[in-house]
Amino acid sequence: MPSPALQLTDVRKTYRSGDEEVVALDHATLEVGRDELVALVGPSGSGKTTLLSVAGALLGPTEGDVRVGDTEIGDLSEKERTAFRGKEIGFVFQAVNLVPFLTARENLLVVAEMNGNLDKGAKHRADQLLDELGLGHRTGNQPGELSGGERQRVAIGRALMNEPSLVLFDEPTSALDTELGEQVMELIGREMRSRGVGGIFVTHDTRMTHHADRTLEIIDGRLKA
Amino acid sequence: MLLATREIARSKVRFGLLAGAVGLLVFLILFQQALFGGLVQGFIGAIENQDSPVLVYNEQARRNVEGSFLLPDQIEALGGVEGVEQVVRIGEATYTVEAGGELVDGVLFGYPLDAGGLGAPTSLTEGRLPEAPGEAVASSADAADGFDIGDTVRIAADGGPEIEVVGLAEDVRFSVAPTLFVDYSTFEDAQRAVNPNAQAVLPSIAAVRPTDGTDPGELTARIDDEVDGVEALTNADAVDSAPGVAAVNQSFQIILALAFGVVTLVVAFFFLILTVQKAKPLTLLRAVGAPSGYLIRNLVVQILFVMGAGIAIGIGMVFAVRPISTGGAIELDLEPSTVIPTIIGLTVLALVGSIGAIRRVLRIDPIRATVDTGSELA
Repeated sequence: MPSPALQLTDVRKTYRSGDEEVVALDHATLEVGRDELVALVGPSGSGKTTLLSVAGALLGPTEGDVRVGDTEIGDLSEKERTAFRGKEIGFVFQAVNLVPFLTARENLLVVAEMNGNLDKGAKHRADQLLDELGLGHRTGNQPGELSGGERQRVAIGRALMNEPSLVLFDEPTSALDTELGEQVMELIGREMRSRGVGGIFVTHDTRMTHHADRTLEIIDGRLKA
Repeated sequence: MLLATREIARSKVRFGLLAGAVGLLVFLILFQQALFGGLVQGFIGAIENQDSPVLVYNEQARRNVEGSFLLPDQIEALGGVEGVEQVVRIGEATYTVEAGGELVDGVLFGYPLDAGGLGAPTSLTEGRLPEAPGEAVASSADAADGFDIGDTVRIAADGGPEIEVVGLAEDVRFSVAPTLFVDYSTFEDAQRAVNPNAQAVLPSIAAVRPTDGTDPGELTARIDDEVDGVEALTNADAVDSAPGVAAVNQSFQIILALAFGVVTLVVAFFFLILTVQKAKPLTLLRAVGAPSGYLIRNLVVQILFVMGAGIAIGIGMVFAVRPISTGGAIELDLEPSTVIPTIIGLTVLALVGSIGAIRRVLRIDPIRATVDTGSELA
């Protein structure tokens, strides 16, 4: 049986603020399947972004185990985490998502280049992804020439470019209107399931949670089903 | 190098302006170096391009050929120093000469023609070396002014010898005046013509050839120790420490150091500003797994591009203005041995100056990608 896309086991993440210890993630345990899309909701400051950052190897846990696919990432060095992110994790962030001086196609190709595999196959994959995302006619446009929805679709393509084990979406529709948000979420659900890739999306907008296979709530760093 | 090349391609004005600014500074540096080279050649090219591994001056002359003379016993003593293979007398003086129908200043360098070339000019470009008294090799820069092959130059004094130019040599002017290399006897004739009451004509300096395996630098020290009243210098030291040249050199070095510093700062500030402006996309790339080394390589490619373009512009400008100096009192003299170290030095300094930008890239915290919530999605 294949290992899940993500396994968090009793993960704690704390910060120091002066003399105080702030608990951002409190004994979080979570499993996301290979083709499962999980919605994560919760109020501001509840620990959503911290959970996403720990799961995405942007931060190391203070305690507990974090496993993405077959790799335990909790003990990786910063350099190893960077390399792991480049190869195994896709990100779609809330705001800054694309390199402004690169075209849509180049924003995907740069992922292949930084991983050292910018070849014909990578170029074909970038074109194919942009086609699937309905952006075949916009490959040569820079982000400034694209609409908000198009830019977020390019970001989805960028996140899938490295054929990741796990894709993490941080408020992917917060800058879009409801209709565009729905379209983007539909696209995310379709692309993730068709590829058998596990994912988590963080959202404030509970109207978007129906796109997920299940929804988790996080409050004060604690996960609730 | 997608990031580096695409950013340059899409910010042509920005990078073009920087390359242009660097180009102007490179032009300034190379122009000053060429001017300095031209000045040195004009003032002391006759020494630099003369077959004289070691030159011996009167100690009192303070390395000034015009103020130097050597006595016969000093010349004789030089021949007895261990490591000296050959010694010849070199006479130098400035005269009023008639050339091309006009009276102008001209310098004679007299050396014995039968000394196997010791003291002869080494940069012959046309014609031949003098083979008899009354023949001369002239500085090629003055060929058009009555010093060309076949022209006759006369020392403007009663009984002044007539000298026929039989060859031209490059960069052999002295004191920015037309210069003629002649037989030592022709120099003596010229001296007697302008100073008929002189009891003897003394050589100005001596050219010394060391024996095989003798280091010229060591030989100069030995000569200084063993021969009273003289100062021996290697050819390079004689050029570098000639009166005027050393002072001009020092002034130019200060100006050049400032120009090098300005290039470094301009490039450093530009790339630091660029890196600060690109903080968000760089943070995004770090977050999605771009190693610092990848981002720094792209930065270095951009620095090398700017420096390469700037250097090309600078060199192009020097070559564009070079013909203007041809035939003037000072010709621009730019040698690859000067240009190449300058290019390497500037490029290294630009890279060193960009450490600020590189440190900024290294300090990027990828977690910022989750908190930079700008209002646009670019």
